[in-house]
Amino acid sequence: MVVKKHKTSKKGFSIRRNYWLPAGYLLLSVFLMILPLEGFISSFKTVLGYIFLPQVRAAHSVTTYAQEVSQTVRELLDAHSENQELKQEIATNRLLVAQAQAVLEENQRLSNTLQLSAQHRWKGKWARVAYREPSQWNTVTLDKGTRDGIAERSAVIAMEDGKAGLAGIVIEVTERTSKVLLVRDEDFSAAVYLERGKETGLLTGNGPRPVRIQYIPLQAYVEEGDNVYTSSTSSVFPAGIWVGTVSKVKEDESFQTALTVQVDLAIHSSAIQEVFVIAAG
Amino acid sequence: MGNVIKLFLLFLLATVCHWAFALGLGYLGLQVNLMLAFALAFCTVLRPAFGYPTAFLCGLFLDFFGTKVFGNNACTFTVATFIMYQIMPRFDFEGVLPQVLTVFLLTCFTGFLNAWLVWEFSSSILWPGFGSIFGGALISALFAPVAFWLVSRTLGSGPMCQSQQHASF
Repeated sequence: MVVKKHKTSKKGFSIRRNYWLPAGYLLLSVFLMILPLEGFISSFKTVLGYIFLPQVRAAHSVTTYAQEVSQTVRELLDAHSENQELKQEIATNRLLVAQAQAVLEENQRLSNTLQLSAQHRWKGKWARVAYREPSQWNTVTLDKGTRDGIAERSAVIAMEDGKAGLAGIVIEVTERTSKVLLVRDEDFSAAVYLERGKETGLLTGNGPRPVRIQYIPLQAYVEEGDNVYTSSTSSVFPAGIWVGTVSKVKEDESFQTALTVQVDLAIHSSAIQEVFVIAAG
Repeated sequence: MGNVIKLFLLFLLATVCHWAFALGLGYLGLQVNLMLAFALAFCTVLRPAFGYPTAFLCGLFLDFFGTKVFGNNACTFTVATFIMYQIMPRFDFEGVLPQVLTVFLLTCFTGFLNAWLVWEFSSSILWPGFGSIFGGALISALFAPVAFWLVSRTLGSGPMCQSQQHASF
């Protein structure tokens, strides 16, 4: 019985202690709250606040460091995205440079051609080659037609190595396109004259073989390298268009009454890209 | 003596963590109270005789930087510690969920109690808003497992600590 009483007493003490302890601290805190925050209390609080200042500074340093890390990471991410954008921009610029180069070359060609136009003052239209026969380089199709004032039997000139030369003749015209028969085609013919001796002849295409001039008198003085121009006797071509240069003179066939001259054309079929179609008439 | 030094170092760490979070999340308007999370973590390890004064001092530390009332945080921390000691035998604080849940609820409770005490004793309103209290409590609760783990690993056992039944994690 004594033992039981002792146990009860110990338990009661423990319970009392469990409640008295928080109650004591509660009372203390209430007492602190009641105190006026002036004079000694304020000074005391300020002094103790200074004691804890190093922790606050340490916390501030930690926060600043974390913010700096965050800022650095953000900057790195920004730099990464900026790098990606710049890479794309560089790729775009490279493409633009390539395009600009092509435009520059085209401009050069057109400038050369304009120079020609200024010199000869022919009237006509510029056109581009829209299609060419892949196997036979005898005809090309232009991107201009009757709508642009192009008519059949118009002379076509082109540029190669900065010089203008006869390219062919318009043989078919639609509203938006026109077909040009090139000089080398077997059906092509034009009245020409040789610059040196002023002899005239008939230039005819010869397919894959060199173009030739027929009906040159045997007595005519012709040499390799002589320039060949369209003649004023031609009803189609304006006089003075450069056709090419003499590459060979055949005179070994005794029964012939005229010379046959081979011509190296000024404009090769593969070089034709932009042409100037001289207005007919 | 070793435990006292460890406790002191943990207290210093808690103050640094509290201020770091308070400064870092202050611009979001969140009332983070990591000090309470640490105080509750101390309760799970320390005997009431050491737990109450430690929690009281933790609260008092915050009071040094207050301007309206002196002692309100000490009061709310004491009340929170009392509740913690009452519920501790009924919950297993080895698990993360009880830690998070308890810290969240008690942080919310102390937030409301604090606002009431300031209004009661200084007649001034110090109401941070529900968003600030709940948001801050959520962040404190998410940090709680770290505080509990740190305290139990550092203090572990000793004359200041409770029996192994309560401080075994």
